[in-house]
Amino acid sequence: MRLVKYCLALGLALVLLLPGPGWSEVLKVTQSNQSLYPDPDFGDHPVAQVPVGAEVSVVNQAGDWYKVEYQGKTGWLNRQAVVQPQSGSKFNLQGLLFGTPVKQTSSDEVALAGKGFTPEVENTYRAKHPNMNFAMVDKIESFKVAPATLQAFIQEGDLKP
Amino acid sequence: MRALCCLVLVCVAPFLVGGCVATALVPVAAIAAKGVSKATVAARPISDSEEYYIGRAVAARILTNYKLDPNPKLTEYVNEIGNVVARKSSRPNPFRGYHFAVLDTEKINAFACPGGIIFVTRGLIKACQNEDQLAAVLAHEVGHVVHRDGINSIKQSRWTEVWTAMGKEAVTMYGGSVAAGLVSLFESSIDDVFKTIVVDGYSRKAEEAADIVGIQELCRAGYDPNALVAILSIMEAKGKGTSSGMFETHPPTAERLAKAKAEASHCPPAKGVALRAKRFKKEVS
Repeated sequence: MRLVKYCLALGLALVLLLPGPGWSEVLKVTQSNQSLYPDPDFGDHPVAQVPVGAEVSVVNQAGDWYKVEYQGKTGWLNRQAVVQPQSGSKFNLQGLLFGTPVKQTSSDEVALAGKGFTPEVENTYRAKHPNMNFAMVDKIESFKVAPATLQAFIQEGDLKP
Repeated sequence: MRALCCLVLVCVAPFLVGGCVATALVPVAAIAAKGVSKATVAARPISDSEEYYIGRAVAARILTNYKLDPNPKLTEYVNEIGNVVARKSSRPNPFRGYHFAVLDTEKINAFACPGGIIFVTRGLIKACQNEDQLAAVLAHEVGHVVHRDGINSIKQSRWTEVWTAMGKEAVTMYGGSVAAGLVSLFESSIDDVFKTIVVDGYSRKAEEAADIVGIQELCRAGYDPNALVAILSIMEAKGKGTSSGMFETHPPTAERLAKAKAEASHCPPAKGVALRAKRFKKEVS
């Protein structure tokens, strides 16, 4: 009888602790200058900007893209927007039970460039080289010219639209 | 009751046994299998996002040597000109777009980081006589981004390091979230690009190709296509007798200037040069 209880408890614990399917997931944006796109393609004009720390609700996924809802808008967010900073001490039951999974994605990215340069690699590089001025790079990436401003600039300068 | 117990064990066993087996076998089998696919995939060109992350790191390294110009109006003006020419290029939307920044130095130089961050020095802006010449400088740098010259400067030999990374990965895959070997490769690539764009300069062929693309951008945008030849000539005169600067490694040779002139001759004369020269004087002074 006692054995049965233990077995049931173990089974229940595994069911509860292992990640389950479904798209009720909420992701937190960890990278700056992120946008929602109408399709999973960076070539499109963004439908909205998503700041660091914003929480988005996932409604679908296709490859490296999540279809998300944010402040009433729906659009596609690249997975690089939600990359988690490195942490060496997170408890992970699945990892404990089954071992850390082979990082197939990272491995493929290694092959992709011969390097695999992703936000995770940048985070590690930044930790190793604190003198590198990434804060200024973020500032530069915040420089944006609004479409209306650019059109006015073109018109005032007698340039081609 | 015993049946129920067995049922639970049957449900749970695959997770436990499977996990253990996977833990034991994956390092050997998966890495061996991945070795084959990696060799194949490594021949593929670098993705836009990877180019972007290299470019960010190269920019961060350049910014350890230079400060940004503190004048936001000048930065805004440079970004407006830069965007006007970049949108007329054959690569108008890189991964995170183009961003132009002014370096706070009197040195005459400009750098195009992979992915779309472009630096121009205050010294070079001051050397320009009008907006069209500054547009020519920026259009030329956009040309380097279009041709991915920064990325192409990464040594081919580094591709073979994929195999080294694989070996390291086998060691580190259970310990950290990013294999140390990857970061090492990242550093090496940044070194290659930085050395090329800041120290050695691009090849003459790459410079000439960027000139052609730049002139085409100027023409499509409505800027004077002869402005590139004009600013190259000014640079040549200013660079004579100096041991550093933008054109020290790849000076505007007579052959380069001739090719640029020939390309510009295909474009009709631009309107509004004087109008924009007034704007330049107002924004830069």
